[in-house]
Amino acid sequence: MAFYAVYILEAHPTDIWTMQSNVKDNVLFASPKNDQERENVANACVRKLGIKFPAIVDGFDNTTEKAYTGWPDRLYLISSDGKVLYKSKPGPFGFKPDQLEGAIKKLPEVRAGFTNVVSVSSEQGANIGFFGLQGTAYQSIMGW
Amino acid sequence: MRKPSRKTVAVVAVVLLVLWGSFLVLINWAMRQPPETFGRVMMYVPMPAFFVLPFETLWNQARVGTVQVGDAAPEFRLPTLDHKEQVELSALRGKPVVLVFGSYT
Repeated sequence: MAFYAVYILEAHPTDIWTMQSNVKDNVLFASPKNDQERENVANACVRKLGIKFPAIVDGFDNTTEKAYTGWPDRLYLISSDGKVLYKSKPGPFGFKPDQLEGAIKKLPEVRAGFTNVVSVSSEQGANIGFFGLQGTAYQSIMGW
Repeated sequence: MRKPSRKTVAVVAVVLLVLWGSFLVLINWAMRQPPETFGRVMMYVPMPAFFVLPFETLWNQARVGTVQVGDAAPEFRLPTLDHKEQVELSALRGKPVVLVFGSYT
C-alpha cells in the first residue's frame, strides 16, 4: 500500500485569504512565487505537522491538483489497477478520514490480510491545515 | 411607532431577496474560478455571510471535478519533497494508493 501527501497550492496564504485560525497558530505564509518557495512551505508543513509518510509536491502549474480537483484538500483511494475507488468531497467539509478508512478496509488486499491496518492515535497535526482541521482522525490510520 | 405598510414590507423583502440572489450568484461564480481568484473574492466576504448561503452544497457542486469513482486515476509524475525520487502513479500498479491533497494553511 502506498501513501502520499500531495502538497498543493496553499489554501489561505497571507496575501490572499488569511484565516483567523492560521493567525492564532502563527501559520502564516505568503503565496509561494516559484517552485523553490513552494518547496520551502511544503517542507515546513511536513516538518511541523510531523507527517510521516512520503510527500510529493505538485508543480507550480498545479497540473495534478487540477486533474484531481484536490484544492484545498481531498482524499483519494486508488485501486491496485489504477481506478479511483474512493474520492472524498472537497475539503474542508468533505475531508473525512473515517470514510477513507472505511474504503481501505473494503480493499480485497486488506480483507485478505495482506495489508496490515493498525489504528494509531496521534495528536500531531491538530488544528492547522492539511492533516490539521480534521487531521488527528486521519493520522489514526497511518500504520502500514 | 407606526406599523410599516404592506407595500413597504414587500419592497424590503424584494430588495433583500435580490441582494441574497446576487450574493449567491457571485459566490457560486467565485467557487468555480481558480483557487487564487476564489480566495481573492472570499477575503472580502465577512464570516457571518457564509451562514446565509448553502455554502457547503454550492462548494460540493463547484468542486465536483471530472474524475469520479470507477474512472482511471489521472497519471502524474511528481518529485518527492526530499528529491530522492520521482513518483509516477502508473509505476505503483499492483498496490493500492492513497493520495492526500492539502497544504499547510
